[in-house]
Amino acid sequence: MNSDTQMFSRARIPYGTWGSSYFPAWQTSALAEVNIGQFAGESMNRILGLRRIPKSELEYLVIGSTIPWHWKFWTAPLVASCLDHRIPGYHVEQACATGLQAVVVAAAEVHGNSHDVVGVLTFDRTSDSPVGVFPERRAHERTHALADVWDNFGFDPATGGAMMACAGNAARKYKVDRREVDELAAYRYDQYFQTKETNFFDNIMVPLEVLNVQGKFLGKIDDDYGVKNISLNEMRAMPELDSCVTGGTQTHASDGMATLLVTTKEKAQELSPRPEIDIQFVGKAEVRTYPSLMPESPGMAVQKLLQSTGLTMADMTVVKNHNPFAVNDVVFAKELKYDWKKMNKTGCPLVWGHPQGPTLTRVIIEALEEAVSLGGGYVLIFGCAAGDVGIATILKVTDGGK
Amino acid sequence: MMKTLRQSTLDTMGLGNVIDIFKNGTMPARTEDLVDEVFGKSSDRGAFVISGANGIVGAGKTMQIGSRLLSYDVPIVALDFPGAQDGIGMQYKGLEGSFGPRNAMDIMSNVIRMHYDGNRLPAKLKSMNPRFLLEAIPEILEVKKKHYSVFRESFPSVEIRSVTSGFPSSELGVGIAHPAFPHQINKIWEIVEDKPSAVTRLFWSLGMIPLEVGDYWSFILDVLFCGITHASLQYHHASNMPVWKIDKYVRRQFGPNPFRAHDAIGAKGANFLTWSCLHHLAEHYGELFRPTDELTYRKDSGQNWYPLNHFRPLVNWTLTESEEDEMKTWILGPLVQMTSLMLHEQRGHLSHINAIGEICAQFRSGILAMIRKIGADEAISRVETYHKLCPSAGGGCWYPEVLKKIEEPEWQQLYVNAEHDGTVGLISINRESYNSDVDAELNRAIDWLKAESIDRVILSGDFHIATQLVGADTSEFYPALHDEKSGYAISLNWSRTARRFNDEFNVSVGFINGKRCLGGMLELMMHCHYLVANEATQVGMPEVTLPVIPGMEGCHWPFRKAESSDWPKLFELLLTGKAVGSKDAVGWLVDYSGSIEDCLKTVWDIASGGDHNLSQRKIKSESMKMAISEFGLPDSGNSAFEASRKAIMQCVQNACQASLDEAVTVQAKHSAEFMKSDLCRFGVIGADAKKVLTV
Repeated sequence: MNSDTQMFSRARIPYGTWGSSYFPAWQTSALAEVNIGQFAGESMNRILGLRRIPKSELEYLVIGSTIPWHWKFWTAPLVASCLDHRIPGYHVEQACATGLQAVVVAAAEVHGNSHDVVGVLTFDRTSDSPVGVFPERRAHERTHALADVWDNFGFDPATGGAMMACAGNAARKYKVDRREVDELAAYRYDQYFQTKETNFFDNIMVPLEVLNVQGKFLGKIDDDYGVKNISLNEMRAMPELDSCVTGGTQTHASDGMATLLVTTKEKAQELSPRPEIDIQFVGKAEVRTYPSLMPESPGMAVQKLLQSTGLTMADMTVVKNHNPFAVNDVVFAKELKYDWKKMNKTGCPLVWGHPQGPTLTRVIIEALEEAVSLGGGYVLIFGCAAGDVGIATILKVTDGGK
Repeated sequence: MMKTLRQSTLDTMGLGNVIDIFKNGTMPARTEDLVDEVFGKSSDRGAFVISGANGIVGAGKTMQIGSRLLSYDVPIVALDFPGAQDGIGMQYKGLEGSFGPRNAMDIMSNVIRMHYDGNRLPAKLKSMNPRFLLEAIPEILEVKKKHYSVFRESFPSVEIRSVTSGFPSSELGVGIAHPAFPHQINKIWEIVEDKPSAVTRLFWSLGMIPLEVGDYWSFILDVLFCGITHASLQYHHASNMPVWKIDKYVRRQFGPNPFRAHDAIGAKGANFLTWSCLHHLAEHYGELFRPTDELTYRKDSGQNWYPLNHFRPLVNWTLTESEEDEMKTWILGPLVQMTSLMLHEQRGHLSHINAIGEICAQFRSGILAMIRKIGADEAISRVETYHKLCPSAGGGCWYPEVLKKIEEPEWQQLYVNAEHDGTVGLISINRESYNSDVDAELNRAIDWLKAESIDRVILSGDFHIATQLVGADTSEFYPALHDEKSGYAISLNWSRTARRFNDEFNVSVGFINGKRCLGGMLELMMHCHYLVANEATQVGMPEVTLPVIPGMEGCHWPFRKAESSDWPKLFELLLTGKAVGSKDAVGWLVDYSGSIEDCLKTVWDIASGGDHNLSQRKIKSESMKMAISEFGLPDSGNSAFEASRKAIMQCVQNACQASLDEAVTVQAKHSAEFMKSDLCRFGVIGADAKKVLTV
C-alpha cells in the first residue's frame, strides 16, 4: 500500500452507531404508504436512540435519495426536523451509488473541519413512485409523463437502452455462461439465508413499527419481505429476459432506509460502544465505461482504486458490492480474477433488494460488521450506477481489541 | 379537649378545625365581611385591579374572580397596555357557556378596561379607589418591582398579590397568589404571605382553594410540573424518544402529558415559563434543575413540541419492560429528589403538596401518595439509580431523611383527616373522588377515632380542597376491566369501609356540601345513620351512564333504608343517572336538607346528641322481596344503555333479596362481573383506560 494513501484522514466511521431498516420489496409493506423522508428521519432518531447516541450529537446531515418524495425541496433540513433536531445539511444523489457517495461526502465534510459529527441518512421508496409531468417539445404529446422508477429503468436517455440491456450486453461481451450466473445467484441466496440463521444482522437491521395518521399500528418492518430462497433448479428454470438475465438473477425494487455516522477519530471513540475499533477511509475511485456496459464498470473502478492505493485483492478482508444483476459479479470475477464465492458473504442487493438510495449504505454497514467480526482488515465496497458508472471505496478496520 | 390526627388544612389559613364549623354552626368567615375588609364598606367600596389583564392568566382570573364578586358590587378594573391583544374579549364565549348570556353580560359589564403605558397609571383609576391589585404582568423581576412602586406611589394602602410562578415574595416585596391553569376554572392558588390574610380568606369564601406555601424560588406546582417536564426532557435527551411518545409513557405511569400541556397552554409562553422556573431553580439549587439544551432551544424559538399535523409521527417507539423501568427512573428519580427538597424546606402542608400535583398538574396520584405507595426504600433507590444515569443531579438537594417520616400521620393522612372534641369525632375527606388511598386513610381515621373512644362521628368534605364529591376515581377500575377478582376486591373492600360508619359508631352523620355528591361518594355517605345535605347540593348516581354497576352497595343500601313506596325514586336515580336536588331527596335518600347554617346546626345536634327532630331511617337487614319488572323506565332507545339498566336492576333485585350480611358480596359480584363485560370495557371507563394505558 502507498504509505501516504489515506483519504480523509480526519474522518472515521464510529463502529456500532449505524443501522438500517429491513428492505421490504416494493408494495409489500407499510413503507409503501409513508412519506419516506419523514420515515427516514424518525427511524434515524430511533436507531441513534437504540445505539445510545443522543441526536444532539449530530452537527450536520447528509441525506441521499433518488426518488422524489413529498417536500423533497426542503432536503436535509426537513429530514433533520423529522428526527427532531434542527441542523443543516444537504442532499446527495447519484442513482444506485448514492449510498456510498453520501458516506464519502460526509467524510469530506469532517475532513474539511466543517463538522465533527455528520449523519448519513439514505432512503428511498420505490413503491408508488411519483410521476413527473415534463414539458417536452420533442414529444408528440408536448408533455411527457415519467414514472420515476420504472420509466428510468427502462430507458437511459444517453444511450436509448434499458438498464437490463446493459447486463445482457456485458454478459455477451464477457462470454458469460448462463449456468454460472444461475449458480452464482443461487449461491448468493444461500449466503443471505445462512446469515439470517445467525445473529449477524442483530447489530445492523432494526425492526421498525409504522403508524398510520391516527397513530395506530399500520405495519411492522421486520424482514426483507418478498425475498424467498430460490434454489439452483428454480433459478435455472426461469425464462431469460436478456442474456443471462432472469427474474432470479436480477434484484428487485424495495423500500427502506439506512444510516451511519461519520465523525472525527475522537468523536468516534466517544460515541462508539467499542472505541477500540477504528474505521478509516483509504480511497475511492469512479469510472464510466462504454455505453450500456454498466456491469463492467465496478470492476474497472476497483482496478483504478487498487492502483491508486497500492493494495491488491489479496489484501481485502471483506469484498462486498451492489450487484443489481448476477452478471455484475461474474464479470467482476473475470476482470479481477477473483473468486466470486469469497464476496458478499452475508448477503447482497441482488438478494435483499434495491431501494436505490440506501442500498450501498447497507452494503457498507454489513461489510464493516463482517470485517469487525473477522478482527479487522481492508474492506472493499463497490457497485454500479445509472449512466454506466462504477464506484469503489476501501475502508480500513483496525480492531484494537483483536 | 380538641385533638386532631394531623393539622387541618383550614388551620393553615387561620380558619381553625373542620369540627369547629359544625360546633359553631357557622362558617369560619363570611364573604360579606371579608369583602368589606378587603374592598371597604359598601359606602366606600374600592376596586379590584388586575394588571396584565389581557394575558392568559390575567384574563382568566378577571373572569373567575369577576364572576364571584359580581353580587358584592366590587368594580373590576382590567389594566393592560393599549396594544395588548384582547384576551378578555376572548373569554366571553366561555363565560356565556358557564353562566348563560345574561349573567355573562352582567359579569362583563362590571369589568372596566383601562390602559396604561407601564409608567403612569390612568388618572381615572383614582376614582375607582383600587384596594386590591392582582398583578399578572410578564415574569421580569425589575418590571414587576417597578409596577408595584408605580401603584404604591398613587395608592399607598393598596393590597398587592403577584401571580408569579417563580419569584419569591422576598424578592418581589409583595405577597403571592399563584394560580393554576386553566385559569378560568382552576380554583387552586398557591399563597405566600407573612400570615394568613383577609384576601386569602376571601378567596376561600368565594369558593376558591388558596393553599398556603413557603416562600421559595418557584412554587410547588412549578417544581412539580416543570420538574416532570425537565425529567422528561432529560430522558428525551438521553434516549432520543420523541416527546409525543414520552407523553404517552408519562401519562400511563404518572398522569400528566407535559409536552402536550405546553402546546395546549401556548408553547411560546409556556416554554419560557418552564425554562425560567428551571433556570432560577438551577441558579439557586444547582444542576438538578438545569434546563436541557432542548428546552432552551424551544424557549428561544417558541416552537411547539408536537409535530405539525402533516408530520404526525410515523415511527413508533416501544420499550421493553427493563427499558420502561429505566425510563421510570429517569422521571421518578428527579421527582422524588425535588419532592425531598420541598419537604426539607417545609414548603407546605403535606396535603397541599400532594393536592397541587393532582389538581393542577394532572398527576393521577399526588406526588406524596405516589411515594408512599412505593415506599421510602424504593423511592430512595430510584433517586440513587437516577444519579448513576445523571451524575450531575447527585451533587446536592437530596434529602432522603425526609422520606423516612413516611409513617407519620402527615404522610399517612394526605386525603383524610380526623378530629374530635372528646365526644364527637369528625372525619373529613379532601379528595373529590374515592380511591384506594382515600379508602385506606378512611380506615386509619376510623381506627384512630375508635382508639380515642369516640363513638359519634360526622363524615364530611374538608371545606377546603374538596369543593364537591364526585364519586369513585374510575382509573382505579382499569385492572378490573380484565380481572374480575380485582373488581370484586375493590367493591367488597370499599363497601366494608363504608359499612364501618353504620356498624362501628353509635351515631354517624354524613354531611354533603358543595356543588354535588355523586356515585361512590354518595354511597359512602349513605352508610351513615343520618344524611344531611346543603340544599344547593345535587345528589346522583351516574354509574349507568359510564356504565358500571354501583359497587359500594348503592343497589341495595338505600332501598333498605327507604319505604317501598319510594323505591321508584331510587330506581329513577339509578337508571337515569340524573342527579336531583338534595331537597327533593329528603325522606328516601337524605334525612335533612337546608341552608348551610341549618345543616351545620342539624349535623351537630345529631352528632352531639342534641334535639334534632329527625328519626333515624333504620336499615332493613332481612331479605326484601322486589319485583323489578314494576320499576322499569320507558325504553331509552339505546340498546347498550338499556342493557346497563337491566344489569343494575338485576343487581338491585339480587342484592335486596339477600340478607344484609350477604348483600355486600352479592353486590360486589355483580359489580365485578359487569366491569369485565363488553358494555363496561367499551364504555367510558374502557375508553379512558385505553387512552391512558395504551402507549
